[in-house]
Amino acid sequence: MEEKRASKQCGGVLPFFIGVLASLVIGWWVFPQVIYSQKTQPIDFSHKVHVDGEGMDCESCHTFMEDGSFAGLPSNEKCAECHEDLLGESKAEETYVNEYLAKDVEVPWLVYQYQPDNVYFSHMAHKGFECTDCHPDVGNSDTLPTYYENRISGYSKQTMKMWQCERCHAEVGTSNACYVCHK
Amino acid sequence: MGIDRRTFIQLVTGGVVGSLFTPVIWKSLDDAAIWSQNWPWIPRLKYGQITEQATLSKFGPSPCSLTVKSVGGSPYVVKGNVENEMSKGGVDAISAGGAQLLYSPSRVNGPMKKVADGKYESISWEEAEKMLSEKLSAVKGQAGKLAIVSGDATGTSSEVLSAFAAGMGSSDCYLMPGDEQAAAVALDNMGGSGQIGYDLDNSDFVLFIGADAMNSWGSVVRNQRVYSEMRPTGEDLKSVYVYAGPFLNSTASSSDKWIPVAPGTGAIFSLGLAYHMLNSGSSASASDFADFKTLVMSRFTPDKVEKAIGVAPGVMAGLAKQLMSASAPLVISGSEFGQGAGAVDIIAATALNMLLGRVGEKGGMKLLADLPLAVDSAVSRTELSSRDFAGYLAAVASDKVKAPEVLLAYEANPVYAMPQADTMAAAIAKVPFLVSFSTWMDETASKADLIMPNPHSFERFDDAQTPYGVGVAMLSACAPVTEPIYNGKSTIDVVLGVASGLGIDLGYESAEAVLQAKAEKAGADWDSLVGGAAFVSDSTESGSLKFAASVLSKAVAMPKGGEIALAPYAKLNVGSSTVAIPPLNCVTISKFELQGKDLFVQINGVTAKKLNVSEGSKVKLTGTGGECVARVHINEGVMNDVIAAPLGFGHTAWDVFSRGKGDNISKILTVGTEPGTGMAVWTSSFVSIA
Repeated sequence: MEEKRASKQCGGVLPFFIGVLASLVIGWWVFPQVIYSQKTQPIDFSHKVHVDGEGMDCESCHTFMEDGSFAGLPSNEKCAECHEDLLGESKAEETYVNEYLAKDVEVPWLVYQYQPDNVYFSHMAHKGFECTDCHPDVGNSDTLPTYYENRISGYSKQTMKMWQCERCHAEVGTSNACYVCHK
Repeated sequence: MGIDRRTFIQLVTGGVVGSLFTPVIWKSLDDAAIWSQNWPWIPRLKYGQITEQATLSKFGPSPCSLTVKSVGGSPYVVKGNVENEMSKGGVDAISAGGAQLLYSPSRVNGPMKKVADGKYESISWEEAEKMLSEKLSAVKGQAGKLAIVSGDATGTSSEVLSAFAAGMGSSDCYLMPGDEQAAAVALDNMGGSGQIGYDLDNSDFVLFIGADAMNSWGSVVRNQRVYSEMRPTGEDLKSVYVYAGPFLNSTASSSDKWIPVAPGTGAIFSLGLAYHMLNSGSSASASDFADFKTLVMSRFTPDKVEKAIGVAPGVMAGLAKQLMSASAPLVISGSEFGQGAGAVDIIAATALNMLLGRVGEKGGMKLLADLPLAVDSAVSRTELSSRDFAGYLAAVASDKVKAPEVLLAYEANPVYAMPQADTMAAAIAKVPFLVSFSTWMDETASKADLIMPNPHSFERFDDAQTPYGVGVAMLSACAPVTEPIYNGKSTIDVVLGVASGLGIDLGYESAEAVLQAKAEKAGADWDSLVGGAAFVSDSTESGSLKFAASVLSKAVAMPKGGEIALAPYAKLNVGSSTVAIPPLNCVTISKFELQGKDLFVQINGVTAKKLNVSEGSKVKLTGTGGECVARVHINEGVMNDVIAAPLGFGHTAWDVFSRGKGDNISKILTVGTEPGTGMAVWTSSFVSIA
């Protein structure tokens, strides 16, 4: 009878708090590392070389069409305007020219911000914002950020969620009606 | 301290409670919800760089210059090319779905030969070309053994085909029927040369007689753009439009005035107007002016014209006065559905332009010079246009002409689209070896012994010169904007290769080389053309025209009256003679034209009462060579004793979007022969109703 009482006192609420603590550790530290797989871009592309070295800006390669639609990532055709032959001595450029351009294969870039197909997003309508308001600031970086792919949803970790769109729309006074983004 | 049951439960409870304060549950649920929207079988968009390239589309009745937007090399939408004079930035209702048509279920995936039970077996291009070469080798040098029909009136491809036919010893190379045929025959009879054109852009008063400029006559999209420019919304109108025809079609409803005139009576209407002009002192310096004047003043008096076509003398006199008082009037005549009109319709309308002094003038009728031929041995465009394929097939049907041993059909669907369709299809069935070069599994391909699919417009080199109806000579061209999706091969390349094997030197080794040569000979820059620009030439033919009074005298007969006339009409959203209903356009079809599988024809209340039918009545329409089943829609926009009926339905091949929907009105058209010119005509088709 004494032993049982002692056991009850010893345990008390400690196991409960141990459980809480373990969950918090797993939930906030382990889980975020487990749910995303890490991927690297096919080529170690340096934005900095192009921005600082060549004086280019975002729209030099990520262009708008005449009708306002956004051309997205540049294709080999665009890159070949300068890189038809090797310009420098970097390994990345050599890989690009030999493995992609020469073989007429487009680079399978991993895009950090692809939205689901049911989302209509116009870059032209958001032209007043800085690119870095939504995209990773890569203009001054020699390396590309690690791409974190959600193991469940398949989307990039940086993909903007709907609540983020809605919050910004609300803040700037733009309609949040469904049809604004879902056609 | 051991872990007993109580401790374990406390630990787990703590773990669960703790997890509520972490993102594990909420994030997992959110991601699972997103995952559930991305089942692997859901079609996914393709991502990649968005690009724009110029191209040409030939799905409609006239070529359309487009800009194709592609993502990652795959076309996904088209828009009009405003830089190109040929279609002035317009897009026709078929070409609008051009990117989607790349994936049409009707596309032929590769060369096929017919095997037992009418089924098809895929073969290699080598085998297909060998089969074709063997058949052609057996008939080479024998007149009447090879016939070719092309549905591409503007492409240099037709030059290659006509030159190949000539090399094979055949003179039976034809174009599918179109208004340009009547115009070519008319011009020949009037002593002119070149191609008739109309300067719509600079005319301040346009009278359309029959010609449905907004749907089927001439360069339709361009006509629409010119109309838009001349009549800008909310601004002063720069031009007046009047339409004379059997029902309130798109052109009539866009015009300032509609004058009901029965199908096939356009020449009488024109000559009735000529009476008032001559009476007002109009004249023209033509060798047979006196004969023309005598003919008109004796046979086309106001009372006779009113009796024949029901247009009051006051209306005719008023219209003639309007034409004479306009500073740049223009009269255009043609078929209400883009084919089957007689040469006399054009001759009579040209007579009006001559009396008005509008031939060769700005804003008037032009005689455009043909662009130089790229293939030396090809027949001229004028000659090719004037050849009469309907007359040829009718002669084969009635055994007046022996059926050819080999018939090649390029971008043409004669089994479906010819007038008196069943009769013409029976004539084609007599041909022992039918070859289809169609991109689609159309009615002709479905009957062919060998199918050698031409790539889709966006996958090939092509060009287009001076579509019928435009006011200046021009040339456009295009290069592929996407990699081929299926195993097609350019028909020009096929023909050049086969010709070479048969010892016929056409002077070129590839389609691209032929088209480049065409551009060079015309004085155009190939790169600019491929980039989307149109080459425009002001070159016109000189020489005066005559009235062809003797032809008019023989060919224009007053109608007997008392019959129900058929007024077919073509609407671009339901396809053309070469393309069936595009899948994207199904939702645009009016419930007054098709409901379920029932075709609707339109008559007015007076005619309905006369025929003892009412809204929705099911009727059987019988023509000379066939019959159609349809329901009735009462439309007061149709004149008395006329049935307006839409073309483009009743396909028996193609896909679920067009097969078995409605009936083919071409079956009940009646092909006759025009006195004076001998050409086949079918705008005066009458039907009986049961």
